Formats: sequence, structure tokens, C-alpha cells
Amino acid sequence: MIMDASVLSDDEKKFMDEAFKYAQEALEAQEVPVGCIFIYENEIIALGRNEVNRTRNATRHAEIICIDQVNEYAKKNGLDLKSVLAETSVYVTVEPCIMCAAALYNVNIKSIIFGCQNDRFGGQTVFDVAKVLGPKTTVKGGFRAEEAMGLLKEFYKGTNPSAPSTKVKTKGKKM
Amino acid sequence: MSAAKRPKLEVAMEPVLPEDLTEDVPLIEAYTGIILDAKSISRMVVDLNSTIPISELAHLKRVRAKEILLFPTTFTTPDKVIEVLKRKGFNVEWISDQINVVQVAEVPPKTKKQYDVVNKLWPCNFHSNKYLEKLCTNSLFNVSELEDHKRFMRMCIDVSKHGIKAGAIVVDPKTRSVVAVGFDKTSENPNKHAVMVAIDNVARTQDGGAWEPIEDGDGASLAGIPGNILDDLNANYPGNSFGASCYKGKDEIESPDDGPYLCTNYYVYVTHEPCIMCAMALIHSRAKRVFYGTSVPEGALGTACKIHTVKDLNHHYEAFRGLLKEECERLNGS
Repeated sequence: MIMDASVLSDDEKKFMDEAFKYAQEALEAQEVPVGCIFIYENEIIALGRNEVNRTRNATRHAEIICIDQVNEYAKKNGLDLKSVLAETSVYVTVEPCIMCAAALYNVNIKSIIFGCQNDRFGGQTVFDVAKVLGPKTTVKGGFRAEEAMGLLKEFYKGTNPSAPSTKVKTKGKKM
Repeated sequence: MSAAKRPKLEVAMEPVLPEDLTEDVPLIEAYTGIILDAKSISRMVVDLNSTIPISELAHLKRVRAKEILLFPTTFTTPDKVIEVLKRKGFNVEWISDQINVVQVAEVPPKTKKQYDVVNKLWPCNFHSNKYLEKLCTNSLFNVSELEDHKRFMRMCIDVSKHGIKAGAIVVDPKTRSVVAVGFDKTSENPNKHAVMVAIDNVARTQDGGAWEPIEDGDGASLAGIPGNILDDLNANYPGNSFGASCYKGKDEIESPDDGPYLCTNYYVYVTHEPCIMCAMALIHSRAKRVFYGTSVPEGALGTACKIHTVKDLNHHYEAFRGLLKEECERLNGS
């Protein structure tokens, strides 16, 4: 179930703020504006945003890119990847899609905190991946949701990326 | 393996269909009246359609022999049927006092098989979709097409042997050319399932790709197949074509069929049923058809779930299972 993000700690809010930076960066690079950071032992070990257009690979979502980075991080630091991932929290501006939710559950990630729901591809909203995979991962959503949705709407509208960001009302509307 | 057993492995490929094509059509109950005078039938139908139109049951015929379909039983209780008809302005003198309840199809049947079931309960309109019928009766492919599918799956099995378990290849059916290959590299990176690797290799043929350094040169068409695997495939499948058709930049693409773009219009062959991550990756990549050999417990194209039939997604591909199943199953042990 989606939990209310009002239960987020100050640290968790700070990490979400960080993830938003990369969503904004994605928008500026004309990529789907989703930003993501991975936290292990209170430190950022991976950060990223969508790179689908640059790589011409539709699977290069922020979360997948971050898993790649954690893989490198573990190798570099001589750590066991599985143990690192099991203690890693994911902060992502948009609910992970079905593919990314499965990828995160497959590697037994500790927790996921996301911003807005993903009405097109959501791994909870469109198809409940957890129901099939039964992960231990805890999931919270809804923090700065309107803002995260606003970024997406701006992208899908194809508006001028240099236009000032707007406060968008999104209730009941699909992005 | 005895020679007599061999033909058995060669068949057994079947489509993995959405439930609304394989399940029986859901039924609801409806009231019917008995027509007193057959001569009045046509006037009666016109009258009923104007006084009590039931647009949600427009797929049903209104009359069966001397019986006329009134409305679903959810409208009212049996004792109030005549009263409701009167109130709506229907001339109840055309029917007897006797009200029956029948089972009818709640939604239009999509396949001939579904139609045959519900049409017996209450006559029903049906427009057969030839493509769907072939798909549902597993008669979509002719012998030579099946041979192609088998050959591509054999290549998949060959490719799989470079990795841990699964192998995948991506084919452009227009040119019957192998565009990209992928094999399981999860020992290197948990994301590197065979399908994910193959998708990234397709990107390499389009001036993209994320996992391997992009080399300069004019070999982009063959960039989806590592050199050593290409050599092997060329040697083992002489006459087969390899490589992607010429990639066009976004500005040069005029129609959606113009491409290549991601895996649009491509067929994907994979020895093992894709997991949820890979099945969804193929949705994002807009693959056209996915063929796999053996089912796995965590499989997302028929076993644990059917990602390719999730209605709310913006793209759907067709999935087929069981292609060279036993040969693919044997890869598990290795």
C-alpha cells in the first residue's frame, strides 16, 4: 500500500530534495524527468536520472542506472553487492515503473520512497509487482507529489524546457 | 534421445493470450416475454428498442423463436416486470403474463469459440476477426515461418552458451536479419539479464547503448552482435542475414513505420520466459512479438503473471511459449 509521506524524517526529506535535482536535470536534458538517489549507511552511493533518449535504450531509467552504479561501488570497495543492496534505500521522484520495481525487488532493496504516482507504468498503480514477487522492501509515496507530477506534465506537454516551472494542479488528471 | 521422439519437440509453440480471449464470456441474467402473435414481432422489436433500449446488450438479438428479450434482471424483481414495461410505454398486450429468466452474454464474444458457447444460450451477433481466430487457434504461422522461428530459437540456444543460462536474440522480421543478441551476464551485474543485454545491443545499432563502450566506425549495423558470436552464427547458419537496417536519426524519420526505433516491429526470441523486469523492458522497447522456449516460475509472460496483457499499458506485444521447449529446458542444468 502507498503510505503517506508526511511520515518522512528530516533526513528522508533531504534525500528526496536531492533526487528532485536530478529530475530537474533530466527535464533540461529533454529526458523524462525522473531523478533518483540510493542511500547506503547514510551516504549517497548512486544518483541518476533517465537517459533513455541519449542511449536510445528505453530501459535506461534512473533506478536501473543507479543499480549499475551500486554494482560498481560494491566492486570498488570490495563489498558484497547483495548485502549493500539489502541495506540501501531508494529515493525517487516518481513511483518506479513495473520494470524498475521488479529490478529493485529482485535485488532485495531495503526501501523505496517516491514522489508522485506513475499512472502510465507504475509498478504499484498500473500493475502490482509486489503482489507477484512478495518483496521485503518497504515502500512509501506521496512526498512533493504535485511537483514531481508537474515536471512530468511539463515534459509530456513538450513545452519549452527553458520556461519557468509552474505550480500545476494534477488531481484526477493523467499526466 | 531416440529419433522417434524428435518430431514432438518440433511443435508445441502456443500463443500466451489475454484472459478475455481464452475465458468464457461472462454471463448475466435477463427477463424474456412470450410473444403471443408472431406477426407482431417486427413492430414489437421496434417498439421495445425505442421504449426500453439496452445499449449495453446491443450484441444480443432481441428475439429467439417466440421469446423476446426484455431487460437485465438487475432492473427489477420478476413480479414488477410487466409494471415496468407498462410504465416505459411498451404495449404489454403483445406478450403473455409469463416472464422467464435467461442467461445471456454480458459482453460481445471475441472469438468463434466464445461465440459458439453464448450463442446457444441466447442468440448473439458476432463479427469474426480473422487474425484473432488464427492467433487463438494457434494457426498463425505456416510451415516455413515455423522453420524460421525454430532456426532463430536455435541461434538463441547457441548464444545462451556464452553466458550463465538464458540467451536472447532480436530479429527484424522484414529482412529476417538478426539485429542483436544477448546472454545472461548477471554474475557481472544483476541488471544484465539476457533480454536487457539484447535491448542494449539493439540500442548500439542505433548509435546508442549504455553498457559497452561505443566504438567508432561504420559497423553500426552489426554493433548489436559481438564479433566472436557473429563469427559463430555466420558459420553455423550460412545464408542467414545479420545486422540492423540503416539507422535514421529522429529528424529523418517521417512515419512511425520508418525506423528503426527502439525494438519497434522487432521479434525477440529468448530461451527462458522473461521475468517481470525483462517483460516490461520489452514493453518500453515496443517489441512486436516475443517467443520463448521454457517457462520459469518467476516468468512474466504466462507463468507468474502476463505483463503483455496488462490493459492499461500503452503498448502490447504478442507472446508465444514452448518454441524448442525441451532443448531450452536442458540449458537449466548446464
